[in-house]
Parts: sequence; structure tokens; C-alpha cells
Amino acid sequence: MTGTITEAAGAADASAPRVREMSMQQAVNAALRTVLREDPRTLVFGEDVGALGGVFRVTDGLQEEFGAERVFDTPLAESAIIGMAVGLAMNGWRPIPELQFDGFAYPAVDQIVNQLARMNYRSRGAVPMPVTLRLPSFGGIQAPEHHGESLEALFAHVPGLKVCAPCDPQDAYRLLLQSVRCDDPVVYMEPKARYWDRRPVELAHDPGDMPVGRSRVLRRGRHATLVAWGAMVHRCLQAAEYAAEDGVELEVVDLRWLKPIDAEGLAASAARTRRAVVVHEAPLTAGLGAEVSALVTERAFGALAAPVERVAGFDVPYPAGPLEPQYLPTIDRILSAVQRTLEYKRP
Amino acid sequence: MTDTTERTFALPDLGEGLVEATVLEWLAAPGDRIGRNAPLVELETTKSAVEIPSPYAGTVVRLHAEEGEVVQVGSALVTFAVEGPAGEADDGAAGQAGIVGRVPQDGEAPRRRVRLRPPEE
Repeated sequence: MTGTITEAAGAADASAPRVREMSMQQAVNAALRTVLREDPRTLVFGEDVGALGGVFRVTDGLQEEFGAERVFDTPLAESAIIGMAVGLAMNGWRPIPELQFDGFAYPAVDQIVNQLARMNYRSRGAVPMPVTLRLPSFGGIQAPEHHGESLEALFAHVPGLKVCAPCDPQDAYRLLLQSVRCDDPVVYMEPKARYWDRRPVELAHDPGDMPVGRSRVLRRGRHATLVAWGAMVHRCLQAAEYAAEDGVELEVVDLRWLKPIDAEGLAASAARTRRAVVVHEAPLTAGLGAEVSALVTERAFGALAAPVERVAGFDVPYPAGPLEPQYLPTIDRILSAVQRTLEYKRP
Repeated sequence: MTDTTERTFALPDLGEGLVEATVLEWLAAPGDRIGRNAPLVELETTKSAVEIPSPYAGTVVRLHAEEGEVVQVGSALVTFAVEGPAGEADDGAAGQAGIVGRVPQDGEAPRRRVRLRPPEE
């Protein structure tokens, strides 16, 4: 395998433009087509991913194109889905299982933590686990219980796992290619609230220029850095627009990889702006924001003008439906945290 | 004589990001008077069949899809004549029929109240 992507969804037509506008859900679909074409060992399976094409249409048309032996439905048994991925990977396959919703991952945690994450370690590298676990994640669609959870801190805490979360269609495409080509297990968290976000996507993008674990600055600013991932990146960009009306220039860092975390990139941004606010949907306590805060403080302490602020969900079970807007970090909560960093005076 | 205003109800997001639904059965016909939250139509998505309640009290004017037809989320489903002038008749119910789930729309930037003061340089 050369690693060069020559085909993606529909791109077999040489006249098709290389850049096309598509939703994030279509970009993930295109990335799955790309990896299914480039590597005959790749398999896509999960609940309703085959005949139905996924409840979010992410796997739409894949079974038709690649057959029911490579794209197939499983029983409603998340532990079995991941257990099967582990067994297939042990036998040379490159599985891409889907767990239909974040909250449905809990029954599979035993297989994820006790088998998937440590098989490589246990076998002293003889049995790698090139598995990409696709996990539609986070809230924002006012769905029922178990459909809006943020499990990144749980998975980032497990040695042996990599974790990433794209925030837009282009990065969804790029990160999925990278995750599937990676020989380690990756939990790929798809922000459901951004599935219908449409942007231009370069389908033949080679992820080589963005190594695993690299964050990116989406907006430059000099007064404070906002750090986020998934759907909260979009909210931080909106907050930065509002801040600009007041003459405050916010930098927005899309973390992308939640493990490994780009500690150097975070520290460099925070050192430039001297202030950092990390924003996530997950509950505050022991959330990934604490890790971001610690990394920035350890590496940029001397440059900081204020303590790192965290804006997060509350320490309650994720609320269903109409209470969601009260739970998720709002523009005002983000701006208030920014103001606290701007006003901070050393005692 | 009471003013009436036409209100068109678009197919709301039925949850879990489903993008279309099939009209199984209309439970109201043009000319029918219907109460708010009364059964309006039965739809089938790839996940389930759901009964949609009427978002308005008024008279059914037009149905925009035949039984068996597939309707996209956001497309017109039914038009009502609702009593009252335009301003009062608009109770914000269009697109929200009390069903779980909605597609977040770009351009709906959340409003802000907090203002910032730049740091002294």
C-alpha cells in the first residue's frame, strides 16, 4: 500500500472536482469508502450500519458497494461488537466497528479496556489492534437519555487507546483516514450536532501533514485562547466573533486529538495569549478540561496572566431534550470565563 | 369576523438525525377543523412509526404530500388557516411539534448578554 489516496466517494469520475461541499456525515461516509477501497482487510459493522445505512446515514450505500461480507449488521450487543473487532484484528483484519450512540458504549467497556486497549501490550507488540471504533458522541440534538454523552475522559484515561474528535467535515474525513491507517486502537468520536454542517471537503487529503496528536489554531487572537473539541469548537468560534465586537481577540484551538494531547501546541498558544479557557460538554469534575488545564499550567506557568478557566457541563447525568441548552456551555458562560481571565489580578 | 392567517407546518426533525419520513396515513383532511395537539398524521421513519400532533388549532387547508410519499425534514407537510392576525397566530410552533430531537441550524447563533472589557495594555 502506498498510502496515497487516489479515490474517494464518486471520485472515480476523473472530471469530478477534488473539492466538494458536503456535510460531516457525508464526509465520514466518503472516508469509509476510501478506506474500504484502499484496504481489503477493512470491515465496517455495527447496529443498523448495513441494510439501513446507519441511523445518521453515515454508512449509507456502503453495503451495496462493498457487499454484506465487509459491511454488515450485528446484534444489539455492544460487548460482542467490540469483542468481534478484537478477534478480527487478531486475525489480520482492520475492523471499523460502530457503537450507535455514546451512551451505548458502556456495555462494551470491558472489551474496550480489558482486550482492545491492552492486547498490543500483553503480546509485547505481536498482536496490534488496528481498530477504529466510531462513536457518535456528545449532545446538542435534544435526543433521549444515552444519546448525548461525552466519554472522552473515560477513554483517554485508558492506556493503549487513542482518542480523537473532529469538529468539521474536512477534519472528519482526514481524522478517519488517519485513525483507520493507524495500527493502534482509536476511539473516533463524531459530534452528532455537527453531522449536517456543510463545508468544502478536499477528498484526496493526505493526512501526513497533520500527524496524530496535532492540534490546530482555527482563529488567531492575542487576548486569550479558547480550547475545545467536537461541537464546542463551533461554539467557541461564535464566542470569539462576539468577543471581537468588544475589542477582545480570542484565539481558538481545535484540540482534535484527545489522546495523545498536543501539549506543546496548547502551551505555545497559551504562552502567546497569556490566558486560556477550556470548554467541553462533559461534566466538569475529572473531565478532560482538567488535563488541558494541567498541561498548560505545567508548560506555560511563567507566561500565564491568569489561572486556566474551565467551562464544562455540570456534574449531573446528561439531561434529555429541553434541558439540554441549560446544560451545555453557553456563549455567556464562555465569555464570563474569558472576562475572569482578563480581570485576574495576582494576589 | 375573525382574521385568519395561513400557517405551513414543515416536517420536523424526528430525532436521531433522520432526514426523511414516509406519510403512512393522514388523520385529518382539508376542510377539517383541528385542535392543537390533536392527531394530524402518521409518519414512518427508518426507525419507527410516529403520530404527529397538530402544532396549531385551526382549519386544515392543504396537505403537501400523498399517503405513501417520502417527505424530507424541513419540507412543507400541511398548511392550516389559523385564527388571528399574523403576529398573534405565530406561536413559534412551526417546526416544533413537541417531538424529541432537532437538527441544529447554522445561522442560529446563540444570543449573548455578557460583554467583555479588553485588558489594559
